[in-house]
Amino acid sequence: MVRDDCGRNDRRCQSPVTCLRGFNALRVSNVSAFAFHTPSWLARSAFAALFAAGLSAALPVHAATPKSGGTLTVIAQPEPVILTAALSTSSPTATFSTNVFDGLIEYDNDFNLKPGLAEKWSLSADGKTLTLNLRHGVNWHDGKPFTAGDVKWTLENVWKKYHPRNQALFANADKVDTPDDHTVIIHFTKPSLAVLSSLNSNGAQVLPRHLYEGTDILNNPYNNKPIGTGPFKFKEWNRGSHLVLERNPEYWDKGKPYLDRVVYRVIPDGGARTAALEKGEVQYASLSPLPARDAQRLSQLPNIRLQTKGYEWLSPWLFLSVNVERPHLKDVRVRQALYHAIDREAYRKVVWFGYGKSAISPVVSTLTQFHDATVPQYAFDVKKAEALLDEAGATRGANGERFRITIDYLPYGDEFRRSAEFLKQAFKRVGVEADVRNQDTPSYTRRIYGDRDYDITVQWYSGFADPQVGVTREYQSDSIGKNIPFSNGPGYRNAEVDKLVAQAQGSGDQAERVKLFKALQQQVQKDLPSLPLLELQFFTVEASDLNDTVSGVDQVYGSFKNFWYTDPSKH
Amino acid sequence: MNALPSASASDPAQHAALPAHLARGWFARLIRTPSGLIGSVLTLAILLMAAAARWVFPEDPLAMVAEPFLRPLADPALPLGSDMLGRDILAGIFHGARASLAIAATATLIAVVLGVGGGLLGGYFGGWLDRAITRVTVFFQTVPPFLFALAIVAIVQPSVATISLAIGLTSWPSLARLVRAESLRLRHSEMVHASVALGASDLRIIWRDVLPNAMTPVLVSTSLLVANAILTESALAFLGLGDANVASWGNMVGAGREVLRTDWYIATLPGIAILIAVLALNLLGDGLAAALDPHSSH
Amino acid sequence: MNRLMLALRGALQLIGVALGIATINFFLLRLAPGDAVQVIAGESGSASPEYIAALRAQFGLDQPLWVQFCKYILKLAQFDLGYSFRQGTSVANLILARLPATLLLMGTAVALAALLGGLLGTLAAYRAGRWPDLLISCLALFCFAIPVFWIGLVFVVIFSVWLDWLPVGGMYSVSAGLSGWALAVDIGRHLILPAATLALFYMAIYTRLMRATLIEIRRKDFVRTAVSRGVRPVRLFRVHILRNAALPFVTMLGVQIGSLIGGAVVVETVFSWPGLGRLAFDALIQRDFNVLLGILLCSSILVVLVNWIVDALYRLLDPRVRTA
Repeated sequence: MVRDDCGRNDRRCQSPVTCLRGFNALRVSNVSAFAFHTPSWLARSAFAALFAAGLSAALPVHAATPKSGGTLTVIAQPEPVILTAALSTSSPTATFSTNVFDGLIEYDNDFNLKPGLAEKWSLSADGKTLTLNLRHGVNWHDGKPFTAGDVKWTLENVWKKYHPRNQALFANADKVDTPDDHTVIIHFTKPSLAVLSSLNSNGAQVLPRHLYEGTDILNNPYNNKPIGTGPFKFKEWNRGSHLVLERNPEYWDKGKPYLDRVVYRVIPDGGARTAALEKGEVQYASLSPLPARDAQRLSQLPNIRLQTKGYEWLSPWLFLSVNVERPHLKDVRVRQALYHAIDREAYRKVVWFGYGKSAISPVVSTLTQFHDATVPQYAFDVKKAEALLDEAGATRGANGERFRITIDYLPYGDEFRRSAEFLKQAFKRVGVEADVRNQDTPSYTRRIYGDRDYDITVQWYSGFADPQVGVTREYQSDSIGKNIPFSNGPGYRNAEVDKLVAQAQGSGDQAERVKLFKALQQQVQKDLPSLPLLELQFFTVEASDLNDTVSGVDQVYGSFKNFWYTDPSKH
Repeated sequence: MNALPSASASDPAQHAALPAHLARGWFARLIRTPSGLIGSVLTLAILLMAAAARWVFPEDPLAMVAEPFLRPLADPALPLGSDMLGRDILAGIFHGARASLAIAATATLIAVVLGVGGGLLGGYFGGWLDRAITRVTVFFQTVPPFLFALAIVAIVQPSVATISLAIGLTSWPSLARLVRAESLRLRHSEMVHASVALGASDLRIIWRDVLPNAMTPVLVSTSLLVANAILTESALAFLGLGDANVASWGNMVGAGREVLRTDWYIATLPGIAILIAVLALNLLGDGLAAALDPHSSH
Repeated sequence: MNRLMLALRGALQLIGVALGIATINFFLLRLAPGDAVQVIAGESGSASPEYIAALRAQFGLDQPLWVQFCKYILKLAQFDLGYSFRQGTSVANLILARLPATLLLMGTAVALAALLGGLLGTLAAYRAGRWPDLLISCLALFCFAIPVFWIGLVFVVIFSVWLDWLPVGGMYSVSAGLSGWALAVDIGRHLILPAATLALFYMAIYTRLMRATLIEIRRKDFVRTAVSRGVRPVRLFRVHILRNAALPFVTMLGVQIGSLIGGAVVVETVFSWPGLGRLAFDALIQRDFNVLLGILLCSSILVVLVNWIVDALYRLLDPRVRTA
């Protein structure tokens, strides 16, 4: 079987046509075969030329100029609660709001930063001053001008007060100067290099000061009828059914967006989503909207394309949080044994249908700058697992059982339930009996992060582009037991690790931070409070006549401003 | 869900006390009707399947024994194929009979105990007890039963015990109303008057006079309650609220729902099992109603 | 005067029921672990203690339970069902927004089922024991035994995907921007599959009910007397039988209308129909208690009202009940 960068052993990848559609050959984080400024369509057609001999007639020939027009129908699942990401970090809000709001900075496909609302940005040598030069001539959707005052106000009153991630990132920002309407100077008491990784539309969404200042921010009606500077304007929200966006004719990126309208449809049932995509009633759905099996089937159809790029910024990894305060699990040998008992490759193939990559560290391998490939490895070895368990004193009883544990899983989809069932069987083989527990989200988060009444749980976090933003929360000790969802579930306390994290947070030298994060990985993979299983690979299902659908590594939370139809009159 | 009305009218007055000479031989009458015969046979078959499950398939039905998505009849060892985790579907159906029937039986037991108890007490004693019990049944009536079961299971952890409890708690009111009507009627019958005149205690009267004669509608309703419980359990599993540690038909259908388009058999085969079981129980209920109907021409 | 007293008593009863149910539900729901803030924090993928505290304050969940309860009852007294912070709108608005969809779906399904079921049941009763009866009875049994969600999915696959006759889900084509008659037709097309799925199940009930009732009645003495008197079949049906058959039919109809709100959770899920059942389910999962309480309250009031109407119809249809 051909194996390509998709990370899937799949006969689909044997065909240059279907493989080309995934554009995975272009995911070259290490080797940049194409220059930073090459438009992606050019890169793609160059690649297509190489494969000219093998092309079938079905391969669309990309025209040089994008065509305007058409309505894009997208799936919103689940339905967002609030429509601005300045106040919420949930995915539905993220995928919706980045069409209404721009980011200060944008990403390209190689983790390089591009100008957004900020034309130029610079960090001082000591890392304590961030200067942003804002674009001129940008207006909010209601006509008022976008100025540095908006950025300053949002930073001081929204990001630092209400945004879960930015509270930590901007905690050290004590002063913000706006010498003129288009310059923002942020002064940090201690360097915060991680900020640069979070200035896109999802990380740092700027709210219109003139509509929010003086109001009750959390209850402001504009949270549900947002006014931004982005390529699309908010039109309507029919709760439980759909949301509508319309093209912003005064958008600062001239000529864009190409689409006339975007309609988000709420479709709770997976089977119904599949049918809608198959029939072409919906043309775009991200974050693995379908069961992988259906997605595989749909990708064979000529009118549908499966896309795996655009998620790199998330750096998601799936892992087992082990409650290190439980009787048997407090022994590191038991944890090591459990890790050895899991065949991660089989797990990836059976539960995730081959999507993703086996994980060896909480920092995923696509984050090449920070990833440490030399961490202690725990290969699939049942004998070793049994030996370790015997050594730790957890011998088999009369009925072959060593001890009993419970597995709770994140109630977000069938894959997590199947993961729990898979693990139950894997552990049973080495004599550990596991009961799978099922509950809804509030019960789950309370149990894991509040009451800490669990043994093992299956879940995933987004690591984001800097480990400080998404990875360290699993290992820092200050959040234990405080009922803060998605923080330190295992209850792991290691002063060394806390020190490493604190140092990396306050360091102004990126090279030093890289060293510190690698040391962190070495330590936590030795202590194993958390067992990384899989580097998650999400996919997007798109109509094949939709073009330019991946503009950056954060496309999953990016806008549709570059999308265009080959033939808009059909939509 | 609404209980299917039995073959005889829902007017309780029709469920008159069965004359003694007709009470005997009801089983013979049962199997003489086509619905009764088929229903009994099928129900028996399913019970046998549940009883034999551990014997025919001694291994854990949740064990991953083969490669996933094996088609039915592709491998002689797995006649019905395997599901997305490589589990044997036939073993799942056999063991699922155990789980689904256990849940349904427990739920029905709860419903019968509460329903008969509440109905008897309320109908016989009347007064404040009756009013109190009626208030409770009205309360249960106002909440859509499926939603109620959903709420209970979602709040407490879904497990075999909680699912049975939830279904039992939501299906007893209709039975209580039925039994209440019966006991109300029987209370004023000559038989009870005679017992009262003879100085029998309330408990004795209830036990010997009222209860046996009120059982007719209860018997008929029982098989329907079991059928309803099986359907409710599968619906709960479909919505993601099944017990993950047992192989139940509802769980299998719920799991197979995601791959219905590509591997239809994973959800369909257990679905057919549910269909047959519910069908069998309904037919049995029909047969019982006909057999116990005092108006039958014999 | 008597009527007025009756009506007044009825109104008081209704208020009593509503208050009782509101109280019970309020405290029962609080047994659930976690609250709305926990859900939102959970869905966000990350949260800080300050964020959670701010949300709690906004939702009013940081106050002691009895304070929250008193506030809720006070609001109820002013006919204010409360506010859903999660949805950002008042509960009354939410329910009213979804009510038409629910009424449309359930109304169509029940009407279809009652009509078809009544007809089929009558046919089966008049041909009792012969093959039309057997066929119809088998069909009814089948329709009752099939899991609703399963048949719904099968319908979607057959009619929506393979045959492409009908849309996949939702209530209307959003992107089309239709209005007026075109919109009505569009909604109609979206309504067919979910209503049919529900109707199949209900139809089974009505068929069997009608059949059983008619068979029972035809056996009765007064019918035999009428037949022996030579009354013609049509008049017999209209005058003697129908009125008697109507009673259990009306009862069942009442029960189903009572379960109108929240009775179609599964169908609404499969077909993405924006109804109250799905709203209640989502509210439960999201611990949005105001919404759930509001829906349960409306449901209970509806049941009480329907019971009254059914009782009134009983008195109308059966004179014996009047004198009882």
